[in-house]
Amino acid sequence: MSDTPSEAPVRSILPKWIRGPQDFIGGLAMMAVALFALWASSDLQGMHGFSFGAGTAPRMFAVLLFLLGAGVAVMGILQDGPHLSHYSWRGPLFVSASIVFFALAIRPLGLVVSAFASFLIAAMGSHETKWMEAVIVGACLTAGCAILFPYILGLPMPMFPRFLIQ
Amino acid sequence: MDIFANLAHGFAVAFSPINLLMCLIGALVGTLVGVLPGIGTIATVAMLLPITFGLPPVGALIMLAGIYYGAQYGGSTTSILVNIPGEATSVVTALDGHQMAKQGRAGPALAIAAIGSFFAGCVATVLIAVLGAPLTKLALAFGPAEYFSLMVLGLIFAVVLAKGSVLKAIAMIVFGLLLSMVGSDIETGASRMAFNIPELADGLGFATVAMGVFGFAEIIRNLDHGAELNRDLVQQKITGLMPTRKDLIDSAPAIGRGTVLGSILGILPGGGAVIASFAAYTLEKKIAKNPSRFGRGAIEGVAAPESANNAAAQTSFIPLLTLGIPPNAVMALMVGAMTIHGIVPGPQVMQKQPDLVWGMIASMWIGNLMLIIINLPLVGIWVRLLRVPYRLMFPSIVIFCAIGIYSVNNAPVDVILAGVFGLVGYWLIKHDFEPAPLLLGMVLGPLMEENLRRALLISRGDWSVFVSRPLSAVLLAIAAGLLVLAVLPSLRAKRDEVFTESEN
Repeated sequence: MSDTPSEAPVRSILPKWIRGPQDFIGGLAMMAVALFALWASSDLQGMHGFSFGAGTAPRMFAVLLFLLGAGVAVMGILQDGPHLSHYSWRGPLFVSASIVFFALAIRPLGLVVSAFASFLIAAMGSHETKWMEAVIVGACLTAGCAILFPYILGLPMPMFPRFLIQ
Repeated sequence: MDIFANLAHGFAVAFSPINLLMCLIGALVGTLVGVLPGIGTIATVAMLLPITFGLPPVGALIMLAGIYYGAQYGGSTTSILVNIPGEATSVVTALDGHQMAKQGRAGPALAIAAIGSFFAGCVATVLIAVLGAPLTKLALAFGPAEYFSLMVLGLIFAVVLAKGSVLKAIAMIVFGLLLSMVGSDIETGASRMAFNIPELADGLGFATVAMGVFGFAEIIRNLDHGAELNRDLVQQKITGLMPTRKDLIDSAPAIGRGTVLGSILGILPGGGAVIASFAAYTLEKKIAKNPSRFGRGAIEGVAAPESANNAAAQTSFIPLLTLGIPPNAVMALMVGAMTIHGIVPGPQVMQKQPDLVWGMIASMWIGNLMLIIINLPLVGIWVRLLRVPYRLMFPSIVIFCAIGIYSVNNAPVDVILAGVFGLVGYWLIKHDFEPAPLLLGMVLGPLMEENLRRALLISRGDWSVFVSRPLSAVLLAIAAGLLVLAVLPSLRAKRDEVFTESEN
């Protein structure tokens, strides 16, 4: 199931001596995460005496992650590895948009409206979507969730838009 | 402490009507979601976690255990019928199972998978009951230094048995450990890496990260090559569910061997169930009189790995229940669920909450029985479910996950965080980083930090405490040895071979 990079020589912006771009970039990103964590925990207290401060463990693991990231990046330089794989924009964009919309809408608009709208937004993430079908399935799913979560599972959540209830 | 008294107590708990219902619902829903291609066990458990929140702890855990087996069984169903393993543990099942299905023997293949799983489940249930108490006693001899070393060993096991680069897997664990530090410090109460965001003060929700990295990321990834998901569905009607007498005779020894192998490998921390199914398949192929039958529809090739992965799936509860250390990502999710219900897994649970532990153990057996009873007649429905196109399925899963995450804390921010982790997970997949060790690191993070701190406090800052205490030293030595072995080229080649065998 691994996405093998396309066989056609990928034009790479990276210099030739990087033999495994996927690992190289991956390692660099881990190093960046580590640096970020170091910075974020820099205001915390360190060791006092032989007992750990709040910041000791985060800094310790951040340094470890930095070294590991560097290791991965170095392996990316030394070893032949896969190229960067192709990113598609459509799926990630619409799925994220749908999630964000749901998060913003659930409080003011309630479950019914936000679930249905998010369904349609997410459906845009695939070029195979047929709209009639999506609307019908979305409506059924919304109805199902509107019964399942608040009533069967007893999890309280707003159902309808706030301005309609008032 | 009598094993049978304990088991009897467990059955009394598990047979209460409400718990039976929970078990049934769990097994049913787990199978339902597990059957959907592209959604593995971890994603299934993560997705369905929120629906157990409203339940009492015993019922919730029984239901989760049911979901776990159901998802695993659902995974084998898709492997056999459409050659899409829903998850890593049923990858090998697809090899021979799908061939059998193509020959019109999908029924017997599914039946043997269920029977093998059930037998393995029975043995593993007894094993848990037998080993549980003594291991708990052992656990009581553990001090913070030993705990810390044991967790290091567990994490190293997970790395060694995981697929792909050792270095990257360790990096993922450390990344997970770092993520677990977000929020309030346990001892000083200082806010760490929370950037004054009130929702982060309590730390990153475990369910949130799991749902993002496994649920959303998998969806986004599947959309990448959504068009390629054309399914090689077995169109013939499934006739003759029951295996013939010859099938049963052929598969009985394979089921036995698979069960033994799986039970042993499951107890070891690491990717228990996955390794178990690969190992069982390899073993069957090695000892078979005519190995060339494998890959062409040999029933042993279905029986052995299915029994092994189920045995391993169950025995992997042993380290969780006795030591409080989750051996794999699904168990890590279980810890998350227990914590949400206010239960701290570990040696104390066995003594303080016998209802919970023994009820869960008994319910595993019942769950397996239910899987046999419900799944054999329902195979037709699962097949129809497989025809639901992905274009309709994925928005449904997105919405379901979003509502689920929101319902954990009624916090919209959690939903957004899960979305962010979905993108992170997508990026990780693209760079061939495995998300499972990350999850394991995240769960073990607080425990590791606490024990590390305590060990060093007791030893007055002397780091040699980890090697001067014999038990701790042995554990660390094993960990170091494993790590060296994993990096050695000869073993690496072998390990890669095990994993590639399945992918062609």
